[in-house]
Amino acid sequence: MDFDPSPTQRALLDALGTLLSRSAGTDRSRELAERGAYDHVLEAVLRRDGFLDLFASEDAGPLEATLAVELIAAELGAVTPVPHLLVLPALGLEQPAGPVVASLDGPAGPVRYGAEATQLLLADGDRCVVAELDPAAAEPVPSAYGYPLARVVPAWHRELAAGTAGTLVNWWRVGASAEAVGMMRRALDLTVAYTKDRTVFRRSLGSFQALQHRLAELSVLVEGARWLVYEAAFNGAPAEASAVAAAHTMTALGRLTRETHQIMGAIGLTTEHDLHLWTLRLQAQRAELGGGQGPRRAAADARWAAAS
Amino acid sequence: MEFAWNEADAAFRRELVEFLDRELVGWERSETGLGSAVHSDFSRGFVRRLAERGWLTPHWPEEYGGGGQGAWQHFVLGEEMWKRGEPRGPQYMNVNWVGPSVIKYGTQEQKRRILPPITRGEVFWCQGFSEPEAGTDLAALKTRAVRDGDGYVLTGQKIWTSYANEADHCFLLARTGSAADGRDGISVFLLPLRTPGVEVRRISGFVGDHSFNEVFLTEARVGADCLLGEENKGWEIVRRTLAYERVGAPRYARAALVLDRMAERCRADGLLSDSGVRERFGQARALCEAARVLVYRVIDERAKAKEPSALANQARAAMVQAERAVGDLALDALGGEALVEGALGDAQFRNSLGAGIAAGSYEVQLNLISRLILKLPKE
Repeated sequence: MDFDPSPTQRALLDALGTLLSRSAGTDRSRELAERGAYDHVLEAVLRRDGFLDLFASEDAGPLEATLAVELIAAELGAVTPVPHLLVLPALGLEQPAGPVVASLDGPAGPVRYGAEATQLLLADGDRCVVAELDPAAAEPVPSAYGYPLARVVPAWHRELAAGTAGTLVNWWRVGASAEAVGMMRRALDLTVAYTKDRTVFRRSLGSFQALQHRLAELSVLVEGARWLVYEAAFNGAPAEASAVAAAHTMTALGRLTRETHQIMGAIGLTTEHDLHLWTLRLQAQRAELGGGQGPRRAAADARWAAAS
Repeated sequence: MEFAWNEADAAFRRELVEFLDRELVGWERSETGLGSAVHSDFSRGFVRRLAERGWLTPHWPEEYGGGGQGAWQHFVLGEEMWKRGEPRGPQYMNVNWVGPSVIKYGTQEQKRRILPPITRGEVFWCQGFSEPEAGTDLAALKTRAVRDGDGYVLTGQKIWTSYANEADHCFLLARTGSAADGRDGISVFLLPLRTPGVEVRRISGFVGDHSFNEVFLTEARVGADCLLGEENKGWEIVRRTLAYERVGAPRYARAALVLDRMAERCRADGLLSDSGVRERFGQARALCEAARVLVYRVIDERAKAKEPSALANQARAAMVQAERAVGDLALDALGGEALVEGALGDAQFRNSLGAGIAAGSYEVQLNLISRLILKLPKE
């Protein structure tokens, strides 16, 4: 048991942080979002520097890959780190270039980067399917939530072996939760910083206990989600732990979205301010994981097996 | 960063679980009665058997009768105990923070006198902090200790003193300086409760049998050897004590146990086929798990001998959230059955009403998180 990053983990995250400070971040994210584009350059750099191979590498593993997913999301990297860093390696599949999308509960609705995706991972009950996608057939849908969304049209597909649906769902829960945790931490930091700088009634906004307690409760929820995600990743994404981590992440996400925007006030609703870069994208993770109810029911089902 | 149990800790847990499964056959007080006479009677016998194996104070230094084991083994012990309704009774206070405070701040004579009975499981201690006008605002306490010859004379009143009805000694805070000194005029006394001038009265309450006692001090005379640490320097000891107390008791483990039993009941009754009910169970389970992992983070700090930090406040707040969620679910899911005295979830709900009050109120935890972690300015 050790809650401090090891020297290797620290070095890895430092290196990734440096890379992302050049190739991702708020400006880059705004520019790509304007065009509705996936960041092929960032994906190539991540691949070149070995960050897509962390899952099965000798001096790293699933936890390190998960930490990387968190950081890429926090830095608004316009790629799909969950499949590339976690799910495809966990399934033992090749990583195609370009975005990979998933649907955890039957046919896919609008998905992130759907217009450029060439591969769909789909769990439908116990079935797990890999489908090739034809980007030309995809139907982009307008959305304010930061990611370019599209409905995808599966072309050719193959079914994976029995039992793989669990692997897909569990790792996707861990990965999307890791993304959410990274984004929630940024949104919370930004809000806390704002309350220190903003003066109202001749006092700093952050000195009001009514707000302090809400921010403190957010920190408890976000930290709880964060460590549950790390622990689940370290243990190889067991069904219960993955669902529990996602369930708690959803609880934190719902509260955080409301509270950060409420506390930030009108400035937080503008596109000029950065808060929405994280809080709107978070809603995509929310939708992807089935909102709060999906993981909560899954957690109950996993723990009390014959529940349903 | 890694989350595996090392072999020694895992082996300790296996051995402990085997012992407890054998030792606690028929022990069905897992939910109720902590601090009740029945519970305490059981505890007095049980902790001696634990002590014989060196499992009462495994984390204490060997020179003080401990096993010299680490913070993790101590915590494994606590977790397994709370999973079973804390059969050590009030003893967990002795071993978690009373003893460690004496080890850190006591004189050689105090260590010789106070520690062996704790390690043998012969005594109960209680905590005399709160007063009628000093609870959450602890530094407002008024109980006075006046130096008189070679001792002190204690006068005042303590309230909400858990287990005082069963305890032999009290870890008591009293004012040795003036009221204007605030936290700088407070000292810690190791008070034998049989001292003349000390009277314990029960207060009837509905949150467990143990929660409510008053302790009246009427010119109770104690020797100077009852003062722990330096005069007027008690706040520092309290600060450390509270940091240990906040996550001393892994209450999430009991909440998780109750939740498991509630789920079994609901499944047997067919209620778990309702997706809304399952959702509530999943959410409560996640809150218990979040509390666990945040508590582990504090134990990691402790195992590395870092100074206690506000991570303990985060963990405590998470535990309160978990206890409340499970308590609420008991009432929501089990219907009228939950109202029956001693029913599954009955004690959990009633105890959960006190969860955010004892050991530093929930709001104080949030204040400390705001100040120390988020670095928000004071009002």
